[in-house]
Parts: sequence; C-alpha cells; structure tokens
Amino acid sequence: MADPMLELDNVTVSVGDKTILRNIDLKVNSGEVHVLLGPNGSGKSSILSAIMGLEPFEVTEGDIRYRGQNIGELEIDARARLGLGMAFQRPPSLDGVTVAEFANALDARGSLDEEAGKLNMAGFLDRDLIVGFSGGEIKRWEVLKLFLQAPDFLLFDEPESGVDLEHIAAVGAAVNKLVSEPAKDGSARAALLITHTGLILEHVNADHGHILSAGQIIHSGPPKALFEHIQKAGYVAPAA
Amino acid sequence: MDKTTDAATSTGLSAAEKDLLTRVGYDSSRARSATAVLVNHDLRYADSQVDGVEIMSIQDALMRYDWVQNLMFNLIAPDENELLRQAAELLNDPIGHFVYVHDGAKVQLPVQSFTLMELPQGRQFTHNITVIGKDAEVEMISGAAVPQNVQAGHHVSIEETYLREGARCRTLSIEQWGSNMLVDSYSRSEIGPGAEAISNQIMLAPLKRHLSDTKTWVHADASSNDQAIIFAPEGTSRVFEGETYLTAPGARSESVARMVSAGGSIINRALLVGQASGTNGFLGCDGLKLSDTGEILAVPALQAESAEAQLSHEASVGMIDAEKLAYLMASGLSEDRARDLIVQGFLHLKDEYVPEGMRAQVTDMIAAAKTGGM
Repeated sequence: MADPMLELDNVTVSVGDKTILRNIDLKVNSGEVHVLLGPNGSGKSSILSAIMGLEPFEVTEGDIRYRGQNIGELEIDARARLGLGMAFQRPPSLDGVTVAEFANALDARGSLDEEAGKLNMAGFLDRDLIVGFSGGEIKRWEVLKLFLQAPDFLLFDEPESGVDLEHIAAVGAAVNKLVSEPAKDGSARAALLITHTGLILEHVNADHGHILSAGQIIHSGPPKALFEHIQKAGYVAPAA
Repeated sequence: MDKTTDAATSTGLSAAEKDLLTRVGYDSSRARSATAVLVNHDLRYADSQVDGVEIMSIQDALMRYDWVQNLMFNLIAPDENELLRQAAELLNDPIGHFVYVHDGAKVQLPVQSFTLMELPQGRQFTHNITVIGKDAEVEMISGAAVPQNVQAGHHVSIEETYLREGARCRTLSIEQWGSNMLVDSYSRSEIGPGAEAISNQIMLAPLKRHLSDTKTWVHADASSNDQAIIFAPEGTSRVFEGETYLTAPGARSESVARMVSAGGSIINRALLVGQASGTNGFLGCDGLKLSDTGEILAVPALQAESAEAQLSHEASVGMIDAEKLAYLMASGLSEDRARDLIVQGFLHLKDEYVPEGMRAQVTDMIAAAKTGGM
C-alpha cells in the first residue's frame, strides 16, 4: 500500500516547557478529508501549526512525514513548496501589500480575477492584505489564497469561524472545490480541517473525524456521527 | 500651443548619461513638457516644449526677470551656516535651474529636472528656484545621479520653491548618489493661499552621509502632503531636519516618513508648528529595522501657537514582524521574497506616491541596496 500523503507518527508538540500535544498518530491518504473536532484550547490549531512548521510550536517527539519525507527539519516555505498549504484562522494584516501584489508574488496573477470573482472578492484586488477585512472576508480570502497557491495538501484552521450562517455554505463549497481539484502530479488532493462549531460539516464532504481533547486524539470515526455525539455528550469519547 | 512634436531636439546628453538619468525618472521621449539637465557645473540642456512653462539656467532667469533676484535667498538665509555662506559667495556665477509655470497654466505632461555629477571627488553647488504661478497646475519629476565610477564627492543643493495662490504641484524626486558621497540639501517651500503641494521623495541608494534640511510654510487654506521613502544600508547615514509652519487659518499638512535601516543610520527630526486657528497637521515617522546594527531615531515634535491648532503625530520603530514573515512563507515565498514584500508594503510603493513606471525600478533599488549591489 502507498504511503499516506500526510502522517503524524507519535508526535508530541511543545511550546517552551509546556507540552501542547501528546503522542498524536494520524494518517491522511490521498483523496481523503479529515476533520479534527475539539473544544477551545484542546490543541487543534497547534497540530496545523506544527505540520506547517510555525513558531513557537516545536515537535519534541515523533515524526511528521509528507509523501514519505520527514519534514520536521524543513523551513516553512520549503514545506509549502513541497505541497502543503494552510488557511489561517487569524492571519496577520499586511499593510501596504495588496491582494494583487501578493498574487503576483505567487505567480498567480493570471488566475486571480477569476478566482476572486467566484468568492465574491473581485473588489478586493487593490485592498491591502487582510487590512480591515471582516471575519467572513478573512475566511474567504484564506480560501482564495489557497486557490492561488494550489497546494496538494490543504490545512484549514476553523474556516467557518466568524462567517455568517448564510455564507458558511459558500465557504464549504469552496473547500470542497479546492479538495476536488487534482494535485500537481494528477493524484487526488487531501485535507485536514479543524472545526470548533462543526457547522462546516453540513457543507464539506469529510471522510474521517477525530476528537481532540487535552492535546490527545481520544476517538476517531465518521465525522457527522462524531459531531452528533459531541452535541449530545460533549468532547468525550463515545462509550464502546 | 503644444510643441511636443518638435521634441526630438538634441539634448547634448550621451546615451550613457540618458541611461543613468532614466533610472531616476528621466524620460527622453515626448512624455515631458520641459526638461533641464545640469551636468557637473553647467546646465547642459534646458528646453520647454509647451507654452506656459519656462525652464532655464538661474543666470538667464536673473537676467530675464528682475523679480527673480528677490526670490533668491529669500526663503533661506545665506548666513545660516558655513556651507550656505559658501553658496552665497558663488552668486556671481550661480549654478542651477529656474522653472517658471505661468499663472493659470494647466500643464499636461510632467516637467523634469536632473542633476548629474560626473567628477569623482567633485564638489557641486546648485541653487534651483521654482515658481508655480497663480492657479497653475503641474507635475514635476526631479532626480540626481552619478555614474558608477563616482563614489566620493560632495553635493550641496539649495531649492527655493514658490507655489502662488491656488497653484497645484505634485513632485517626485529620486536620488542615486555614490556610496561614499556627502550630500547636503536645503529645501525651502512657500505654499501660497489655497495652493496644494504633494511631494514624494525616494531616497534609497547608499551614500556616506546625507543631511536634509527642509522648511515649509503653508499659508491660508493651503495644503502640503509629503511622503518620504528612506533606506539606509550599512555605511549610510541620513539625517533629516524638517520644519513645517501652518501660518494661517485653514492651512493643512501631512508628512509621513517611512524609514528602513539595513544596518545604516537614519535620524529624522520633524517639527510641525500650528501658528493659527483652524490649522490641521499630522506627522508620521515609521521605522523598520532589518538588522541589529545601525539605528533609527524618529523625533516628531508638535508646537501649537494657537489654541485651535489641531496637530498630531505617530511614530513607530520595529523589526519585521515574525508572524507576517511566517504567514507569507507558508504560502511558499522564500524568506528573502517575503521580506522584500513586507518592506515594499511598509514603504507604501503605491500608484499615488510612485508612478507605475518607476515602481519596478524602486523595488530593484531596494533589492540592490540590501545586497550592497548599487
């Protein structure tokens, strides 16, 4: 059987002296969409940050492999160039850098007009990046960014938070479209998506769900069934 | 009458000189209404292609218009310091250009003026006077450059600019001096009632030391808006002393300096004085340090002489935000490319400040200055 596209093998993540995630095992195969469910502070965003190599998260045990390659020592941009892309939950604003200039830097100016139009962001091209964007606009921008970047493996950090209920469907549809487009080598893309509210699950075709609690994956199963369980019982493992 | 069709006159400039000046805004095509180029100690070329704009040497101007003598050393006193005293003593043989835009002229294409210094270890004193007549409108581009073989030398410039009532003038100035040069520039501007001045200065190339001394008087209902983009690579020291006086009701000003140190030193002292009621002014001094060496000192000062003067300032100095860098790198940009994008964003290289044709050149200058390649 082929290697998983992304594999976390007994990964422990710390910030300074504090351990945030313990002994995480996770395999995401090509074509799969995995969802991480968990309460605030459970370490969901920390997993994505550790995969992407963002500070101050440090992998202190275990390995993160992408397409079979241990990426633990790679810089952030090297991971991105391998094929990882992330929609941030709270991206920083970049005063003076317009959406169009950023697209130029990504060599994606050619596709910007079309992709921005689809996400109702055609009027944003001359806006400074994430300066004065509303919560919903930030989420749409982060999805648009991934269309421009075209990574093979997509990381979404709470793509529905701050989005009006009527627009969650649009964000979900855009996530589905991103995932459904082929990777650069023609194989299927894959995604790991974090949600706190679970609302996005109504609109995203997810295959696997995981409950994260206190820095550990405590249960895995079908995402919608997990969400229904959480709504009734909270973020605890279902009884066997 | 528009005479731009006759623009293909000889400028006396060599291809190399034109190439050098092109980097600081020169356009040899018909896209300029008037041109003056001063090389070393001579005004090599001065020609206007349109009615309503006169451009000539300062000597010719003094001979042609008896009122010009009253404008010379009118906004700046020759006894302010030793350098200025030396400049005043050259009055018998002043070097520089005179630009006169007639009252009511609406000049479609920019007026351009440049200074070239081609003598290594040369000394250059220039004195330029600009008069924008009542209700006239014009855009001006000015630049200064040296060829690659000129690393050391001393350039001193005096600029006296008069915007008459209701005039509108937008200026862009770009300088590219030698890496071991000393430059002292004295600029004085009087913005007449209801006039509007917009100024953008780009100072990126390395030099040994630049002292810029600026004073602006903004009169009733007039406005002054200036943006400065300042870069100091290692070995470069830049000192700015600026004073803006809002002299009468309705006078407004906004002055923003964006300073980047890549190991060099930038000192920016800016004073804004509200002398009358109903005046409104803002000073912005933002600094970005790219390395642990060098320094940025930003000292904005406000002085209200009227109880109804509204003056404010903002100042900040910091390093590149690691979170912004990580965000851009997470999209696949290299660290260098991400830094460049952040620096360019910080410097606000926007259409309204830097013409599109010049922007790519400016970004190249930033990249070259960072690597010491200029």
